[in-house]
Amino acid sequence: MPVNLRCAALIAFAVLALVHAEAKTAIAEEASGTPLPIAIDSSPAGLDPHIVTAFNSVAIVSGTIYEGLTAIDNDLQVVPSLAESWSISSDKLSYTFKLRSGVTFHDGTPMTAEDVVSSLRRVQSKEIASPLASRLIAVSEVDALDPLNVELKLKEPSAPLLAALAGIAIVPRSMEANKDALQKSPIGTGPFRFDAWQPNGFILLSRNPHYREPGRPKLAGLKFNIVPEAATRAVGLESGQYALLPQLDAATALELKGKPGISLSQTLELSNIVIGLNAARAPFNDARVREAINYALDRQAIIDAALFGAGVPAGPLSPVLKAWALPVSDFPCYHHDPQKARALLQQAGFAQKTKLVLRVLASRQDIKDIAQIVQAELAEVGIDVELANEETGQFVQNWRNGNFDLFASANAGGADPDEFLYRAFHSGGSTNVFKYSDGDVDRDLDEARRLSDPAGRKAIYDRLQMKLACLGPIAAIAYGTLFSAARADLKGYEVMPNRSLASLREASFSP
Amino acid sequence: MLKHLLLPRLLDLVIVAFGVSVIAFLMIRMIPGDAVALMLGANSEVTPQALAELRNRIGLDQPLLSQYLRWASAALHGDLGTSLWTGRPVVEEILANIWPTLELTFLALVIGAGLAVPLGCLMARRRGRGADMALRVVTVLGLTMPSFWLGIVLILLASRLLPGFASLGYVPFVENPFGNLARMTLPALALALPILAGLSRLIRSAMLNSLGQDYIRTARAKGAPERVILYKHALRNALIPFVTHLGITAGYLLGGAIVVEEVFAIPGLGRLILGGVSERNYPLVQATILMVTIGFVVLNFAIDVIYGLIDPRLRH
Repeated sequence: MPVNLRCAALIAFAVLALVHAEAKTAIAEEASGTPLPIAIDSSPAGLDPHIVTAFNSVAIVSGTIYEGLTAIDNDLQVVPSLAESWSISSDKLSYTFKLRSGVTFHDGTPMTAEDVVSSLRRVQSKEIASPLASRLIAVSEVDALDPLNVELKLKEPSAPLLAALAGIAIVPRSMEANKDALQKSPIGTGPFRFDAWQPNGFILLSRNPHYREPGRPKLAGLKFNIVPEAATRAVGLESGQYALLPQLDAATALELKGKPGISLSQTLELSNIVIGLNAARAPFNDARVREAINYALDRQAIIDAALFGAGVPAGPLSPVLKAWALPVSDFPCYHHDPQKARALLQQAGFAQKTKLVLRVLASRQDIKDIAQIVQAELAEVGIDVELANEETGQFVQNWRNGNFDLFASANAGGADPDEFLYRAFHSGGSTNVFKYSDGDVDRDLDEARRLSDPAGRKAIYDRLQMKLACLGPIAAIAYGTLFSAARADLKGYEVMPNRSLASLREASFSP
Repeated sequence: MLKHLLLPRLLDLVIVAFGVSVIAFLMIRMIPGDAVALMLGANSEVTPQALAELRNRIGLDQPLLSQYLRWASAALHGDLGTSLWTGRPVVEEILANIWPTLELTFLALVIGAGLAVPLGCLMARRRGRGADMALRVVTVLGLTMPSFWLGIVLILLASRLLPGFASLGYVPFVENPFGNLARMTLPALALALPILAGLSRLIRSAMLNSLGQDYIRTARAKGAPERVILYKHALRNALIPFVTHLGITAGYLLGGAIVVEEVFAIPGLGRLILGGVSERNYPLVQATILMVTIGFVVLNFAIDVIYGLIDPRLRH
C-alpha cells in the first residue's frame, strides 16, 4: 500500500507540474503575439471563394484572405477596396475600375488588371460552376485596358453590380481553370494569408506582411478553432483559451452577459428566418391562403418565445438596409388576426384533406423552435401541419426539388435589395424554389435592376415589399439579433450584419 | 501456433472488410440528399445541366455496381480516393485525424483498465463490506453518467480551479508534449471513468466466480499465501472476460468517441466520420469505416493471442 501511495503522489505531482507549465506557456505565447484564437462551430466545406457559399466558409475567407474590387463597410455601404476608384459611362453600360498599384498576392506575384479579368471570367465559367455567376449576369465583357485599369461592359444597366462585386474575390490568374487548388490552399490579397489547416481542428491564418495598407493588420494572425459544442465555446472564452466567438445563440449570449473580461456586441442580421410556401401546389397556389398564413402568425410572440426576444419581425427586406426597408407596421397582414385568417381561408375554399408537411432545417435550434410555434399558431386557424425535422443534406435536396408544402429555413440577403428579392421572387430565379411567378413582380424586379436613380428604385421596391410581404410565397418571420462575444481587451472588432469578419483587419489587443 | 491462429483470422479480415465496405457504400448512398446538391449549396444558381456535369465528374451518374467495383479496385491498389469537398486524398485526412483518436483510446484504456484491476480485486476481497458497497454505488454512478456531461463538468471544473489551463483542442505530442498531455487529460478521464466503472465491476464478479472454484480451495489447503491465491490463481482466470471486454471497448474507441471529441474540440475519427456523413463525402466515409474495421479485426486478433498467453489451455 505505501508503494501505491508514493506512486499516486508522484503522478499527482507530475500532473500538477504539467498544468503549471502549460498555464505558463499559454501566457508566454500571448506576449509573443500568437494568432487571435477564434472559436467557430463547424469546418468550412472548402476555401475557394468562388465555390463555397456556406456562412462559415465565407466568413473565414472573405475580407480576411480575399478582397474584391469593392467592399461593403459596417454600414453596408459600397466602398473602394482593390479598386481605388471607378467611373461609369453615361449609358450605364460601361464601368471602368482603377486598381490600386503595388498590391501583391500572398504568393508574391503582383495583382494586375489581368488577374481581375481572369477572376471574373472564372466566376462566369461553366467549368467552375460558381454559385456567384448570377451576380455577374449583366456583365458581357471584361477587358484589361492597361495593368491598372479594367473595363466591364454590360448587356443592360445593373444597379446592384457594385455591391455584388464586393462578394467576388480577386484571385491569381493562374487559378482561372483550376478547380481544386484554392479549396485547399487559398491565395488572395487580403490582410491575412493562409498558413495551415488541421481538418476538424483549426484553420490558421497569419499576418500578411506585404498588405497594401501599412501598419495593417495589427494582429499576428487568426486561428479559427473548430469547436462544435456551444457550451465548450463559451467556457473556452471565459477561461481565456478563445478570444473571440463570432457567433452566439441568444441563450449563450445571455449567459455570457456581464461576465468580467468579456464584451458582448450585437447587430441585426442581414438574413432572415422564413416560412416558405409552395406556390406551385394547393393550397398555397392561392394567394388568399398565403395571406391567411401571415394573419395567423404572431411574429412578436414567436420572437419572444423562440429567440428570447432577440430579433425583430421580418419584412421582405432587412431593417439593416435602412434606406430601403419599409417598417413592418406598413403591412396590413402583419397584424395578428386569426379571425381574418379563417375568413380568408374560407373564401379560398380551403379544406384540409391531408396534413401539410413543414420541412425544418434541423441543424439550427432557433429555426426548430420557431417551426413548433408556427405549427401551433396555424393549428389555431384550422391548418393542420406536421413537422419534419430534416438533416441538412436531406433538407437541401427537398428544398431544391420544390418537394415541400411549407419549409422553415434561413434566407440570406445582401447589401442591395436586389440580392434579397430577385433570386427568390423572379420567375425562374435561382432560389425561387416556390415556383412563384407573377408578371408584375417580374417586371418590377427587372426595372429596379436597370434603374440607377435611387428614388425611382425605392418607389419600385416599396411597391414590391407591400405586395410580397402579404401575398408572396415567403412568410418572413424574424431578423434575429446576431451576437458576438470577445475578450474585453480586443479592440477594433465589430460584428457585421452579414457576418463578415473583415473588421479584424483593424483589430488589436489594447495593452 | 501463430500461423494456426493467423490464417483463419486473415480470412475473417477479408470477409469482414468486404462485407463492411459494401454496407458502408450502400448506407451512405441510401441517405436522401446527395453530395452534388449539397456542394452546389442552397444559394446557388443551379441548372439541371450543372448538376449533371458535377455528378459525372464525381462518377455518381454510374450504376451503383460499377461505382462500387471502381472504388473497390482502386482501394485494393491502395488508392482510397480523394475527399469530395477539399480535394485532398482521404488517406491524408484520415492520418490527420487518427492520432488524437489513437492517443485518446490508449490513455482512456490505460487509465480505465489500469485502475479497474486493483479496484475490482479490492471489491472482490472486501465483498459485502463497506468498501465494496461504496465502490459498487460509485461504479453505478460512473456507468450512468454520460461522457458528454462528464466532459462539460470537467471543463468547467478545470476552468474554475486551474485558470489558464489549456483544456480544449489538440496539439500533436511531437510539437508540444506538455500541451498535448494537458489537453488530453480531461477527455481521457471523461472516457475512462465509465470504462473504469464497467471493467471494475466485471473484474469483481469474475474474481468472485474464480474465488469460489475448487482450485482456489486446493491452493488454500496447501497453504499458499493469500496474495498468490488472489493475483496468481484467481485473477489470471478472471482476466479472460476482462480482456474480451477490453478488446471490444478498444474497438469502439478506435471508431472515434464522437461525443467527447465534440465537447473537447478534438479532431478525431469520430468527427471525421460524422462530418463526412453530413456532407455526403462518400470516399471519405467509406475509407474511414474500412480502416476502422480493419483496426477492429486486427485488435480482435491481438486479443486472441492474449487469451493464449493468459490461459495455456487455449493455445490448442
